[in-house]
Parts: sequence; structure tokens; C-alpha cells
Amino acid sequence: MELNSIKDTFDRVTKKQKLSSSKSQEVIEQLGQEIEQAVSKLQFVPGAMSQPDHKLILTELKTKLNEIAPLSQLESTQKELNIALTKYPKLLEKSFNPDISKAYRNVDFDSHTVNQIIANHFYQEGLFDLGDCFVNEAKAIEATGMRIPFLEMYQILHAMKSRNLEPALKWAATNSDKLKHNGSDLELKLHRLQFVEVLQNRGRDEALDYARTYLSPFASDHMAEIQKLMACLLWAGRLDTSPYFEFLSPTHWEKLAKELNRQFCNIMGQSHQSPLSVTIAAGVQGLPTLLKLMNVMMGKKQEWQSMKQLPVPVDLDREFQFHSVFVCPVSRDQSSEENPPMLLSCGHVLCKQSITKLSKNNSTRPFKCPYCPLEVEVSKCRQLYF
Amino acid sequence: MEVEPLSNGNSATAAAPIAAAAAIAAAAAASPSSKLTQLTESLKLEHQFLRVPFEHYKKTIRANHRAAEKEISAAVAGVSEAADLSPDDAVQRLNSLVSRLQGLKRKLEEGSRMEHLQAQRCRARLDHLESADMDHLSEWNSTRLKRILVDYMLRMSYYDTAIKLVESSNIPDLVDIDVFNEAKKVIDALQNKEVAPALAWCADNKFRLKKSKSKFEFQLRLQEFIELVRAENNLRAITYARKYLAPWGATHMKELQRVMATLAFKSSTECATYKVLFEPKQWDYLVDQFKQEFCRLYGMTFEPLLNIYLQAGLSALKTPFCYEDDCTKEDPLSQESFRKLAQPLPYSKQHHSKLVCYITKELMDTENPPLVLPNGYVYSTKALEEMAKKNNGKITCPRTGLVCNYAEVVKAYIS
Repeated sequence: MELNSIKDTFDRVTKKQKLSSSKSQEVIEQLGQEIEQAVSKLQFVPGAMSQPDHKLILTELKTKLNEIAPLSQLESTQKELNIALTKYPKLLEKSFNPDISKAYRNVDFDSHTVNQIIANHFYQEGLFDLGDCFVNEAKAIEATGMRIPFLEMYQILHAMKSRNLEPALKWAATNSDKLKHNGSDLELKLHRLQFVEVLQNRGRDEALDYARTYLSPFASDHMAEIQKLMACLLWAGRLDTSPYFEFLSPTHWEKLAKELNRQFCNIMGQSHQSPLSVTIAAGVQGLPTLLKLMNVMMGKKQEWQSMKQLPVPVDLDREFQFHSVFVCPVSRDQSSEENPPMLLSCGHVLCKQSITKLSKNNSTRPFKCPYCPLEVEVSKCRQLYF
Repeated sequence: MEVEPLSNGNSATAAAPIAAAAAIAAAAAASPSSKLTQLTESLKLEHQFLRVPFEHYKKTIRANHRAAEKEISAAVAGVSEAADLSPDDAVQRLNSLVSRLQGLKRKLEEGSRMEHLQAQRCRARLDHLESADMDHLSEWNSTRLKRILVDYMLRMSYYDTAIKLVESSNIPDLVDIDVFNEAKKVIDALQNKEVAPALAWCADNKFRLKKSKSKFEFQLRLQEFIELVRAENNLRAITYARKYLAPWGATHMKELQRVMATLAFKSSTECATYKVLFEPKQWDYLVDQFKQEFCRLYGMTFEPLLNIYLQAGLSALKTPFCYEDDCTKEDPLSQESFRKLAQPLPYSKQHHSKLVCYITKELMDTENPPLVLPNGYVYSTKALEEMAKKNNGKITCPRTGLVCNYAEVVKAYIS
């Protein structure tokens, strides 16, 4: 798709349009002038104008206008413009996919569900006014379920932007167990950051108090970390010249905000990225393949509407791979509960049905692995859990 | 959506001709050139984006030209007529022609200004497509999502939200609010059981509707006829039919006959064939028809872009694992609403294994091969190495709690 040639074709359209436009103005000007001239001739000798003269002037005017032939003048520029106006959309149809709704399935796409998804998206992105306006217009009051939790999250993050860690600390304390369960040391990191803030802003004694109250619970698991922080006390007021100047870096705040975002969403049972964004991004990557497929399946509309699985793979980026999918190299079947992946003693993995077929239903005799010279026994094959 | 182009080094090692496992690595690693192809393919989906403002531009050009032609012809005709008038009348007539021409000049100037703005919008869109490059991809993608949402809002008539979204993202040139406003007038009128704006729209677009053999105007006329019958204005109805329905008789006789027969019934008739013609949902049907004609004329898809992309995305992401209880929350299909939408859609298909480590959520490929514990559970090398390092060589399976030594794990070869 050559954007430059498309741009050139469009420029041609505007050029022709300008020519046509100026031609129109020119012609109108001419017409107006001729008529005005005739008027002034007619009015030259007011009153005592005899019939033949005035008729003559008017006939002259008519002839003049026929000579000018305004409409045919316009015709030629208009024709060129029309050619350009037809060429451009044809080029567009050639360079782009003219109908991306070809692959659309006529299934019931419940608008209430879609509206709910959109409302959640707005709230998750922090666009609360927009979300409220939407919920109002779409009359989707039940879609506001996510508003309060996300509002809380944005309030915490907003406070963090102005270096206020209070709301974050409070939240982390309330959800301490869940954070530990997720394997996150967010609470410690928050206290660490707060400790450095206190040290910088309120001095050594307050920092020491803070450490005693809030850092000591973490001492057993994170001794090394605590020791570093305690050492910072020695450089109170000149932390930037200490070996620990790195603690002052603003990147800590950004990283911590991101992690809090992630953990907050996780504890809420949401993905950290708006699921609408993720799905649309996946759709953008997958739609070209689906449209190509639809082209091939042109006459089989019924099959398209009713298929249970896409007949071709849709390649998405790594970030869209949420689940392990095992495809047996022999049968090309996707593994399932009835047909799980099995590890052969040689290290290769096949699906259960393939193993059954290769061992020719004889579970006692060893069979040869299709990928290496080793012979393996059916009984020694172990089911894998990805 | 953060897209990080993988370094060339990655794909280079993947291309090393070692094991059949190179297949997964090649499939998983996205080299810069394939990312570019992906981007080009996604730009090809933007036909509507360029076509709609162009159609609008074309329409303005044609309308202005028709107005100019009409006035000029009238001026020329006026001159011919003036020859038969008395001198004073002739002067008056000619003067009025001059002022009309001046009026036309002003109108055309205004029209030219409008055309210029619309041409600018077309160009702005071309520029926007050009600005989609690897460096600004995530911002461009985020703008695309906003455009898709605005398109949805406009089609669903949520105008306030659409305007708010456009203002807050500063993308007025990239959306078609004015085009949809034009449709809104007609739709609102139809919902108020008025056909006048719709008929005016048909007149405006007469040539193109005729070219596509549209019978929309006919259907509008039929509805007006039925309303006259409903109001028991039978004589007027017949006059109306003579004037406006008869011309369509040649091509749509059967339908015409069916509707004409309503004259014999009252609007409260119980006869099924004719009762349906009197129902208010005929107006809803007209609204749908209008939307279809409108979209076709402007080169827009009939379904909202949001639905089209959502369907494609859901199908591409849908696997049986998404419906399990322990589906990761990062998967959109772990959400009830997405599951509901995806239910009638086909599952995605894979030709090659793609395995994700339960612990790190990273892909398990030749660089990070899968390792099997004695109980059959599989994790990535990176995850288990890290775990062993922190725990004196001991591994604890996060899902079953089984403890074993790092030495006991076996490598699995996936192709």
C-alpha cells in the first residue's frame, strides 16, 4: 500500500477541484459583466429609448452569452474533476480492504453486555466523567459496578504522584494478606519509600521512629533490605552523597505506582490492562487473517456462521498467549482433557491418542518414538500438566 | 498496548538449525519485518477511515456544482426572456439577474471554503495513517481504540459521549461527527413518524440511490400512504398513490398492490397480512433501511467497528481453557461479559504448540525449555532455576505442593 501514491491521487482531486471552482467563478464573473454592460447600455438614454435599439442590445447580449457558452466552459473542467473523483475511490478500494465486515458473524451481540464492557473500560482508564456520561446516555446503570474500586485506585495513584503515600500505605495494610499470597512485596516497598521520604523531609529521629513502627515487621524476611535502610540514617540530610543515593531516584515512584496498579487490579479480580483494549488489539491482529479466510470461503456462508473452530491459526503476538496450548506434532490435534499430552521416556511429547495409535493398541510392546531412535514403553509415558 | 519490537538477536538464534523446536521459537519471536507487515495489514483495515470524508467532500462538490449550473442556466434563460419585455422591465429583470449571480458568487465562495475544509480533513487522515510507525505504535493504537469507540457512540446515538470523547482526545479530524449528524436528523424524524427529512435526503442522493437500485424512497412513500389510510383519509390516499406510488409500479408491483389493498381495511384490522403494515415497528424497519442505505453510500460498514474488531479478537483469543475457573485474570475471556459475547463464536486454532509457564507467564521455548517435575507438572527452566537458587536446590510445585530436587526434573522436547 503506497501511501504516497494515494496522497498524490488525492492532491490531483483537490487541484482539479480548485480549477473547476475558479472556472465557475470566472464564468459567473463574465456573465455578470456582460449583463451589467447591457444594463448600462439600456440605461444610457433613459426613457427615450426606442424599441428596436433595446431589442438589439438584448439580442446582442443573448448572442454574446451564447458565445461565452458558460455551461460548456464548466463542462470541460467538471469532466476532468469527475475523472479524478472516480479514480481516487477506486484506488482506495484497491489499496485497502473495502469491506471489513465480511467476516462478521450475525450472532446476537448483546448491546447491554457491550455497553457494560465499555463503561468498565472507561473507569479502568480513569476516565470517570466520560464513563458517567456514557452510562447516562446508554442507560446502563448496572455497568457502574467497577466505578468505586477503580476510583479508589486512581485516588491512591494520584496521591502518589504528589508524593503522598498515605492512601497507598493504608490500602496495602488492609490487603496485606492478599499481597503476600500474590508473592508481592509491595507493602515493604511502600514503607521503604516512605522511610526515605521521612528521612529527607523530617529528619533522622522521625525516620528512626518510622522504621521501628513499620519496618520491623518485615525484618525477619528482608533483613538485608532493612539493614541498608538503617544504614541510610547515618547520612541523614546528605543521602544524595551516600552510597545509597539510588534510593532517591524518582523511578522508584513510577515503578511502584505501576506495581500498585497491577496488584490492585489483580486483587480486584481484573486484568491490569483494560480487557477491551486487549481484545481490540487482538482483533486488529487477527482480522486480516479472518478476512483472507473469508475470501477463500466465499460461497460457504453457512459453514462460516456455524463453525465451532477456526480452520486456520490466527497468529497473535506473544502478549496474547494466556494459555498453554499443546499441539501434538503427529496428529496436529490440540490436547484436551480426553486427549492429554504425554511425556515419553525419551523426552518427546505426544498426545495420548497418537501414542495409542503408534503402539498399535498393544500397551505392552515398546514402540519407536517418531522423533528419535529410542524405543519407549506405553506404561512409562506420563501425563503432563502445563 | 505496549508493543516491544524484539531485537534481531532473538530471531537470529531462533533461526539456528538445531532442533525441530526452532519451529515454536520462530512462531513466537516477532522479527521487526513481520511486525511491519502486521502494521501494514492493520492499516489496510482503514478503508472507512478514508472513504467517508471523501464521500462527504465529493457530495459537497457535486451539490455546489449543481447549484452553479442551475443558476447559470437560469441567468441565460432570464436573458432570453428579457428580450420580450418592455425596456424598464428588461432592465429590472437584468438587474435582478446580476444580483442573483452575485449571490451565487458568494454562495460558491462559501461552498469552496467548505470544500477546502473537507479536503483538509481527507488529507489529515492520510497524514494520520502515515504517522503510524514503529516508534509511535502504542499511542497510535490507543488513538485507534478511541476512534473505534467514537464510531460506536455515533452509531448508537450516544452523541454527548462521542463529543466528550473527541474533545478529550483531541481527534476532531479523525472522526465523522458531522456525517452522523446528517443521519441523525433523518433518524430522529423517522422515529417521530415524519418522512419529510428522509425524502429530502433521497432527493439529495437521487442519482446514487438510483444507481444502486434502492427502493428506499418507495418504502417511505408506502409508509406515508399507510398513514393516510390509518387516518381514514382515503381520497387523499388515492391521490397520493397516483402521484407518488404509481411510478414505482413497474418495478415493485406486488408490494404496491399489497399496500394499496389496505384501503379496503381499517387500521384496526385483525387480518394478519395487513395488520402488520399498520404496526409502529414499520417505522423501526424504515430507520434500519435508512441506516443501511446511508452506510452504503458513505462506504461505511453496517455494523459498528467495535463489534467487528471485538468479534475478531474474541475468536482469536478463545480457547477451551478460557472458560475454566483458574483462567488467568489477564485473559479478557476470564470476564463474564466477554465470555458471554464469545459464546457463539468459533474457537481459535493453533498449528504449533505454544506453552506458557504457570509461574512466570513467559513462553517456554528452546531458550527457556519446559521442565517436568516427577508429578508431571511442567514449568519453565528460568522459573525453576530461580526457585532452586533461592531454596538450596529444592523445588516446590506451586500447584500441588510437591517438593523435589532440581536434579530430579526432566527436560521435555516440544516441537
